Amino acid sequence: MAENKHSLLKLITNGIFSENPVFKLALSLCPAVAVTTSVKNGFLMGVAVLFVMTMVNITVSIFRKLINPKVRIPAYILIIATYVSITDMVMAAYARSAYKEMGLYIQLIVVFAIIISRAELFASKNRVVPSAVDGFGMGLGFLGALVLVGAVREFAGKGSLAGISIIGANPILMMVLPAGGFFAIGLLMGLFNWIEVKYFGGTGGSPGGGHGGH
Amino acid sequence: MSDILKVTINLTVICALAGIILSATWAMTEPVKVAKEAAEREQALKALIPGTDNIKPVKDVVIAGKEGVIYEASSDGNVVGYIVADTAKGYSSFIKMLVAVSPDYNVMGIDILGHGETPGLGDQVEAGWFKEQFKGKGMDNLVVVKGETKTDIQAISGATISSRAVTKGVKDAVDALKVYREQAPAPGGADGGK
Repeated sequence: MAENKHSLLKLITNGIFSENPVFKLALSLCPAVAVTTSVKNGFLMGVAVLFVMTMVNITVSIFRKLINPKVRIPAYILIIATYVSITDMVMAAYARSAYKEMGLYIQLIVVFAIIISRAELFASKNRVVPSAVDGFGMGLGFLGALVLVGAVREFAGKGSLAGISIIGANPILMMVLPAGGFFAIGLLMGLFNWIEVKYFGGTGGSPGGGHGGH
Repeated sequence: MSDILKVTINLTVICALAGIILSATWAMTEPVKVAKEAAEREQALKALIPGTDNIKPVKDVVIAGKEGVIYEASSDGNVVGYIVADTAKGYSSFIKMLVAVSPDYNVMGIDILGHGETPGLGDQVEAGWFKEQFKGKGMDNLVVVKGETKTDIQAISGATISSRAVTKGVKDAVDALKVYREQAPAPGGADGGK
């Protein structure tokens, strides 16, 4: 079986670096642009996705032999929607201030491509432990990417980091507007690929083929 | 045919399980959420008119096509002010707010409960300096001005639409209160009502 070859640590670094959901796979860019106007928002969204992804991967993996292949996609969506609803309800009750800012976006996690793609590509074919680690690693990669994009946008757009004012002015206000999200992600994606080519001997492309590096 | 049956059972079981899990979560979290929402609202109301012991909703109204509520704040049996909850249409979202109005129709303060305005621009409607401007303003001075002003409402630079929206929300709230008080004069409400 394939899972014997995976070392668990490699699965985690895979999600963070070589198959980073945002910078390498270029999946779920929509939330990556929408919520990353500040470090805090990016972090909160990342944590929610990390939780949902890990739990979905575990659940799909446990039931992978019981789910009929013909209806696997609706089944995955139902599982994802259940965990997202749980996250939504728990946040609404216990993390009010975060929920006020994120409430709208939490429900959108249901349709994040990265989650269903990991359920389909990994969890449906692997045992529980590797699946959980894969979901966790991918979630960490997503979380890290959102925090990084949020940091760049918040610093450039509002002159602050994590709500703490550093410059005391708005250097490039455009960066917190939607267009700035594309700039920030594009630049970071380029940086990611440049580092990979320069120091790790990668090709700089996305693993899915095509040319990921801008 | 048995294939269809299998698939049906498969999905039905998943839906049923999801339903059970979700109802259990809802049953646990909903009371907490409702209690916290009520507490937050009460705190926001009390912060607008300090020193009152009694703020109660007196009428549900429709303001600018949206649901609104008028609260009456009293202290020792005298009405000291009103708070109107209403919603204004901003640049990219609906701005929910509370407007505290004195019995002689001057604004005592406002609070923004929720909005989805542009981060970095329109979201400054929540900023202290912007909200403070409304304090003590009468209907005539609720006018948005670009640039420095002491008498009127100074627009947030780059977010004139959001500034105007909040100001309109405040005016609508005062108007709604006037209508309410003309229809049903509050007991002891003769103190300065013009």
